[in-house]
Amino acid sequence: MPAVRPASKRKAPPEGFSDLEEDLLIFSNKMKDAQNAPNDNLPRHQAQWPIFQISHQRSRYIYELFYDKEAISRPLYEWLLKNGYADPMLIAKWKKQGYEKLCCLRCIQTKETNFNSTCICRVPKTVLKEDQDIQCVSCGCRGCFSSS
Amino acid sequence: MLKSTYKPSAAALQPLLPGWTEHKAPTGHTYYYNAATKESTYKRPAAPFAPTAIAPQVNLSDPNIANAFLAQNAPQPSHQSSHRGGFGGERGGRGGFQPRPRPQPTDKPRSKVAIPGHEPWILVYTKLNRRFAYNPVKKASYWRIPEKLMPAILELDQARIRQKAIDETAPTVTTTGETTVPNRPGAAAPATTTEPHDYDSSEYEEVEVTDSEDDDPSRPKRQRTSDDPPSGPVEFTEADIAAQLAAMNADYNSYPSDSDQDEDDGPPPLSESDATALFHDLLTDLRINPYTPFATLLEQPTTADKLTSDLRYLVLATTRARKEAWETWSRARMQALKDERARQEKTDPRIGYLEFLQENATPKLYWPEFRRKYKKIDCMKDGGAAFGDKEREKLYREYIARVKTSVGERKGELKGLLAGQGARALNSATVVPEGVPAAVRADVRWVVLDRKTRDEFVEGYVRGLGPPPEDEGQGTREEEEAAEKAREERRKRERALEDRERAVAEEKRRQEKRLGFERARLREEERELEKAMVVDKKGLRGQLAGERMEE
Ligand SMILES: [Zn+2]
Ligand SMILES: [Zn+2]
Repeated sequence: MPAVRPASKRKAPPEGFSDLEEDLLIFSNKMKDAQNAPNDNLPRHQAQWPIFQISHQRSRYIYELFYDKEAISRPLYEWLLKNGYADPMLIAKWKKQGYEKLCCLRCIQTKETNFNSTCICRVPKTVLKEDQDIQCVSCGCRGCFSSS
Repeated sequence: MLKSTYKPSAAALQPLLPGWTEHKAPTGHTYYYNAATKESTYKRPAAPFAPTAIAPQVNLSDPNIANAFLAQNAPQPSHQSSHRGGFGGERGGRGGFQPRPRPQPTDKPRSKVAIPGHEPWILVYTKLNRRFAYNPVKKASYWRIPEKLMPAILELDQARIRQKAIDETAPTVTTTGETTVPNRPGAAAPATTTEPHDYDSSEYEEVEVTDSEDDDPSRPKRQRTSDDPPSGPVEFTEADIAAQLAAMNADYNSYPSDSDQDEDDGPPPLSESDATALFHDLLTDLRINPYTPFATLLEQPTTADKLTSDLRYLVLATTRARKEAWETWSRARMQALKDERARQEKTDPRIGYLEFLQENATPKLYWPEFRRKYKKIDCMKDGGAAFGDKEREKLYREYIARVKTSVGERKGELKGLLAGQGARALNSATVVPEGVPAAVRADVRWVVLDRKTRDEFVEGYVRGLGPPPEDEGQGTREEEEAAEKAREERRKRERALEDRERAVAEEKRRQEKRLGFERARLREEERELEKAMVVDKKGLRGQLAGERMEE
């Protein structure tokens, strides 16, 4: 009869996870705090902003460690994606030109918006009027178009 | 020798030549750049105030002339009989230099007086109690008084002393300063006539500061000055003198200083690379996890406190600079960890294999099943003669057997493994898990606990150990030399930081002292003002009383 192994042991993360464990925990705690934060005096659409932002930060953290800094192994990277630590769809967009800094997937979906176009934050700064201060409704992004 | 450029030069008074712009190097130096010619220089390319204003450095590299400066920089005595400490006679080069204050860039003319009988020559006194002879026609200045002017200036000095004596006996007269010193050859002052006429004193020596053509030693300078034809009246303003003085100071400042004792230099700046290295040292010393995002470091109160309370945090002035330094450090550190792991796995194929077991082995699978399932995985393939299938099977069985035991038992076994390591391999400085020696990582006891439990346990264990042994005889000579060099460089930049902190503290003390003086003086003035007010009121009352009496 096989011994009962703890759940954590069954899917042990690959080597290198312990390097990130603490920081991932910090992200998780932030996310919990954001979800539980009272949002009575916030406009409805703004309530979701912190959650989008933390999710973006965490995906960015893992993306940079793997692609930019080459500091984590592919098995670890894939394990992190599989376990929901990063958003593979968003990361896929970051590899495309002009989308290197994309804030969230919502902002490039044309169907949901009022004008059947992408979000204001996707408009290049050069097209905007000078000093026009923008902030998108879906995630609070102030502009994420990258030209290079 | 670039020290003198750290502080705003007196030449700042002069406008830059067209085409030149002023810039600040990251190290704090001011430098000048000409976009058209692509030239850059530390020396301010300023418009010459007068044809003679741009004096070449060569004049000042002459020890005699340099000494002349020193003599003038010494606090000016109230009269010429003071001992000059032999500055003027010092001909043996710069060996006899005394620590001296650099001429203040803020020096400016305070007063001037005509030299009787030698028009248009004037004697200019500066705020710092220096004085020089100035010929507004030639627009030439001389820190040392031309000989032909000496008798007249002596007269002036004697007159000044007499005036001072008169002022002292009549305290109601406010001190006038040199501006109003008249030439009073007739005034009697027996006390001062006994003073020796110290013609050899440097104060009266002629040194041409601002004229470049007069370098030829064969040509007697005195001749030249005495040949100057006095011409008609010339417009001469305070601004003229100020600019002239600025030119003289600029020359002085461009003179390479070999003295580190300048008091007014401000904190010695750290070089950019030293500052970055110090910041890197801080991150390393605090055992910052290189994988942690920079923003997280500053958000976590304990880490942020540790970082910001360290002097080395402030050697970089902006958060942006700190982030850049962190980025470099973190990348290098992560790369080093990666390399170290790769090296260890190469050293011993068992390390990689055991890690694979830790992730994938389960008591549900017997060895043949396990081998079949993972036969395509690298670490399951042939590892050479030293590590074949037999060895893999043995380790697999050992692993499965141990996994079935309690966590406490497994911890006990791991502790036994760790205890067998020497102080060089395992000590309080060991970074867990990457710093753990290969001998441990190649042992099955290393992988039988889940990583988190194990690393916490090992971390606790190494914290209880002593520091690494002093002698590092195990490395190669090159490694030792590199390590020693790194340590020496670190000591050096730490000293630079200490020096800077000391200078900053010193400057602060000085400023507080100055502030204290200022406040005291202000209080004094306020008291006097109050007194004056009281007197005025009394006077007024008296006057009113008088008026009433008249009525
Ligand atoms: Zn956006
Ligand atoms: Zn968005």
